[in-house]
Amino acid sequence: MISIELDNITKSFENTRAIDGLSLRFEPGTLHGIIGPDGAGKTTLLRLVGGLLKPGSGRILYKSGPNPAAFEEVRANLAYMPARPSLYADLSIREHLEFFKSLYQLPRDEYAAKSKRLLEITRLERFTERKVGELSGGMYKKLGLMCALLQSPTILLLDEPTNGVDPISRREFWELLYQLLEQNILILISTAYMDEAERCGMVHLIDSGRLIASGEPKEILRKEKAGTFDELFLRSAKK
Amino acid sequence: MKSSLRVILGFLKKEFAQTLRDPVMRLFLFGAPLLQLTIFGYAITTEFKNLKLAVLLQPDDSVMRELSGHFYNSGWFTRAEAEQGDPEKALYSGAADAVLIAPPGGLTKALGRGNAGLQLLIDASNATKARIVEAYASSIVQKYAASRFPAREPGPGLSFNVRILYNPSLETSYFMVPGVMTMIIALITVMLTGMSMAREKEMGTFETIISAPLKNSEIVLGKTIPFVVLGMADALLVIAAGLLIFKVPIVGNLFVIFAASFIFVCTAVSAGLLISTFARTQQQAMMGTFLFIFPANLMSGIMFPIENMPLLLRAVAYINPIKYYASLLRNNMLKGSYPVVVLPDLAVLTLMLLVIVFITIRRFRRTLN
Repeated sequence: MISIELDNITKSFENTRAIDGLSLRFEPGTLHGIIGPDGAGKTTLLRLVGGLLKPGSGRILYKSGPNPAAFEEVRANLAYMPARPSLYADLSIREHLEFFKSLYQLPRDEYAAKSKRLLEITRLERFTERKVGELSGGMYKKLGLMCALLQSPTILLLDEPTNGVDPISRREFWELLYQLLEQNILILISTAYMDEAERCGMVHLIDSGRLIASGEPKEILRKEKAGTFDELFLRSAKK
Repeated sequence: MKSSLRVILGFLKKEFAQTLRDPVMRLFLFGAPLLQLTIFGYAITTEFKNLKLAVLLQPDDSVMRELSGHFYNSGWFTRAEAEQGDPEKALYSGAADAVLIAPPGGLTKALGRGNAGLQLLIDASNATKARIVEAYASSIVQKYAASRFPAREPGPGLSFNVRILYNPSLETSYFMVPGVMTMIIALITVMLTGMSMAREKEMGTFETIISAPLKNSEIVLGKTIPFVVLGMADALLVIAAGLLIFKVPIVGNLFVIFAASFIFVCTAVSAGLLISTFARTQQQAMMGTFLFIFPANLMSGIMFPIENMPLLLRAVAYINPIKYYASLLRNNMLKGSYPVVVLPDLAVLTLMLLVIVFITIRRFRRTLN
């Protein structure tokens, strides 16, 4: 089981400082929510954890149990679902699954069982031959998640997976995540929907690249004397 | 190794599906080369036919009439009209490319006097064309003079016995088609590869690929091998078209031609990938391709001789992979696969491939910065 520690990370792009001295700890077996408004630095944070960006300063430590692990070892067990559309519009659902099968080098039996189960859960079985460009927003997101889950990751990075998804699909999505959590993996999910914060095991509220609060959702609300996360953000925005 | 093979096969399947399913891409891959080859092969020739020639002569000038017959029967000239009083008008109006004017009083009489001078007015607004008209005309006049007055001018004791090798009929298409084939294969392969990688970046799919548990070499090979296969398919198509449409002979070894094509296609694919490391969008990749391919085509010796270029440009031409493949194709098709001709070109091309691959791998970044 892999845990991740961020030690005073900063990351700047030209004139903007996306991450500004962030220190965080992500433990396995927990659903971590990265909560913040648009432009808070959520995507940058996930890309840093996924090795797609290198931090400007500070360190990211990966640990396998108590021992430090090199990123190259971690990468093999890491799945990342980007926020922006990142599937091939001209390929069908089945072609995506097959392409990802070869990217993850899955054995044929494992692939067959896994894809069947994922198609069932996402209820996309009937649409396997449909081109991705013709899928609805919610189906698209579900396929993105399926592609990420085709391997059995120990770290799952989901960047705004429910953005633009209808409420029913969103609920299904979260149920899927809870099922995955039973396998004791580390899930990092970013969202701008404050109501989703309460569904996470741990939440990390960030704004302008800085950490505002971190902990169990209920505890944070009690400590900050706020009724909801919306309220908390409005208050911090006023400051 | 076995698992890398599976990754590459996965890419192969995906790239083929994406490329071959799109009708526009199919046309670009297979229709455009044939069209370009046909257009270039037929239209771009350095020989001129159908030159418009007007002849000004007196009705009773029988020698001049006979000479003009030789002009028109040569196959190079067609009949045009010019006015006796203002022969230049035919040139500037474009009615004629050249006007042949008999000496005053007629050629028949002038020859009787022993002092015959013909006047030839040539439109030299196209200098190449003018030089060719002049060469054609003087050869016709000399031949005519030699056949009509064999004893008159014994000529110098020294003469050429010219034998033209490798392209005895001096067919321009034999020379042009291998060159055009080179240009087409280069353009399509570089552009296809560069744009495909740029499309991954533009569409955000690059993020997915680079976050997958793959080795860098697997990503690079996965994004290049499909285009090597497609590029080779295109090369074979174009070579077949050269043989069937233009009847360009292949004197040399077919295997050498395939080997040279393979090395060149690999080089072009690597160049495309290199361009894509500078590009974020498909437009940028396309601009980059043209920025590279136009000068590279012009300085490849296909159209303009490298020997005549200034030193600096010549130096650039010698690091141009297109030059070596064009030379390989021409030599192999027309001359034959003499190792002394083929091996240096193959060696240089291979060296270039290695250099480009080295630079591309160094530039290939697995981050989004």
